[in-house]
Amino acid sequence: MEARSATAIAGCRLEIAHLFCFTFRIAPWPTQSVRWALDFVLGFWGGEKDVRDQVVRDLDIAPLLGSPIGTLSKGQRKRALLAIGLLMPQAILLADEPFDGLDLRQTRDIARVLRSHASAGRTLFLSIHQITDAARVCDRFVLLSGGRIRGEGTLDELSVLAAGRGASGSGADLEEVFLALT
Amino acid sequence: MRSRRPAWLWLFAKEWRELVASRSFWVMLVAIGPLVGVSFMSAVRTYAEVSGLGGTAAGVGEALSPLIGVWAPTFSACELAAVFLLPFVAIRLVGGDRQSGALKLELQHPMPAFGHVVAKASVLLVGWLAASIAPVVAIALWRSYGGTTFVPELATVASGHLLNAGLTIGLAAAAASMTEHPSTAAIVTLSVTVGTWIINFIAAVQGGIWERLANYTPTAMVAEFQHGLLRLDLVLISLALIATGLALSAVWMRIGIPVHRRSIESLVVAAVATVAIAGFTKAHASWDTSENRMNSFSEADEQALRKIHAPLRIEAHLAPEDPRRADLERRSLSKLRRVMPEVTVDYISSTSIGLFEQTREHYGEIWYELGGKKQMSRITTAEGVLESIYAIAGISPPAENDESIFRGHPLAAPPKGAGIVFYGIWPIVVVFSSFLMRRNI
Repeated sequence: MEARSATAIAGCRLEIAHLFCFTFRIAPWPTQSVRWALDFVLGFWGGEKDVRDQVVRDLDIAPLLGSPIGTLSKGQRKRALLAIGLLMPQAILLADEPFDGLDLRQTRDIARVLRSHASAGRTLFLSIHQITDAARVCDRFVLLSGGRIRGEGTLDELSVLAAGRGASGSGADLEEVFLALT
Repeated sequence: MRSRRPAWLWLFAKEWRELVASRSFWVMLVAIGPLVGVSFMSAVRTYAEVSGLGGTAAGVGEALSPLIGVWAPTFSACELAAVFLLPFVAIRLVGGDRQSGALKLELQHPMPAFGHVVAKASVLLVGWLAASIAPVVAIALWRSYGGTTFVPELATVASGHLLNAGLTIGLAAAAASMTEHPSTAAIVTLSVTVGTWIINFIAAVQGGIWERLANYTPTAMVAEFQHGLLRLDLVLISLALIATGLALSAVWMRIGIPVHRRSIESLVVAAVATVAIAGFTKAHASWDTSENRMNSFSEADEQALRKIHAPLRIEAHLAPEDPRRADLERRSLSKLRRVMPEVTVDYISSTSIGLFEQTREHYGEIWYELGGKKQMSRITTAEGVLESIYAIAGISPPAENDESIFRGHPLAAPPKGAGIVFYGIWPIVVVFSSFLMRRNI
């Protein structure tokens, strides 16, 4: 993933300096510990040190701090990478598949952390394939299919759009809305 | 609260940790000890024998210089390490971030990609300096045997190998960024190195433009430094090549840039480098730092030659592989060029080895042309060349001064204890340091 490609998301112009993109398909600095990675991220990018303890607590990664990143399981690594992303000073985060490979409990925990950061004023762009996961955490949606935008807005706005196209069923179900619009 | 340490310091610290964490670095450190050791012990043994140890003719060693007798072969181990070990360390450090995906995070920092590459290269050079402790240990052992050292010539040799390491790092960094996989990068790096050896081989056979090109291969460059000769053009060209390698690495390291744009940027880098290198070949300054002035005529001869201001043209009818040509070049012309920048040398031959040209009328002739006068000689020694030049210039040869002749530093001492140091203590210390440092990261 490359920051430049995120300069125009859903028609919005984004300032690269305010945006940080991260994917969970990587295992950066595999020989280094999670603790070092968090410190490096804070030091190199100039993030706020005060946030570190909160993020570690929220994501429950304290037991992983001494472990090399390359030795973490998929779920553990995902939490460590999410911590790295959340420590970045940029106001906007673009994350690729934050729930991929997680069980229901882990998904809910991470969704809760993401919601709390969004509530604190940070903008999160999440690329999610599982519609139910997206519905769990996002306020606004950009529905993509076949490389084209099929709908954009809150769940209520998308429901109205779907109903306008003759969709039946529950208007508050994002899956039904997606199927109706794509 | 934000960190007060600047971002580049964080990056250097990160690269250092990555270097220390890599096994290839420690393998290089372990290997360089015995490599230096075997070269050093062999050189010291030969030096001792020539100096009279074991009943050989005493007095021969009076012409011996530790620079050629000991330090050139000892430091040659560093050349081997720079060719066969350092590329893997460099590729691991540069390509590792791409393999792990860390590059996708790091390159989102406002710091330009070149800054990231420079940080990696700097840390690799520090790593190389750590590897250079092995020849430093050899120097300490030599001193303990009673051997003499001449700091300027040692510094020149070490600088040459540092520049050579820089060239390897620049090349490996570019290869690691331009290829998808470390093994491909390793093949590319070694191929380029072998390519420079092929240039040297063709130069020895065909001469001409290849000979000029071969002057700037890493092997030829290191050879000049190992003779204690510090040439400004070689230093500048090496630095330009290192910068080119790092710039190419930065161009190809960035993610998401179309290939055609990177290709255009690479061509621009190559064009700038070519112009710079062409300019640097005009820099003629050089310094002979060897104690025995092996790259220079005597001071009296140099003073006399400096009085000749007219351009001197030399036409030597000698084939590239004729030993007399190598003799003429090494013992006379290379020294002459340092004193008289207005010297033009043309080699004329029909074949590469000259074996079948011996019977030709003009083969073996060396023609000197100065101020409209011409003179021919067949002598290839320094004395013969100087004699011809003085004769054609119409100046008297300076009186010989025995006091200025280098008397050598014979040392009939075996390499006592070196085996234990390089084959035993060195590997143990490196492995122990590896264990300690890797545990603390």
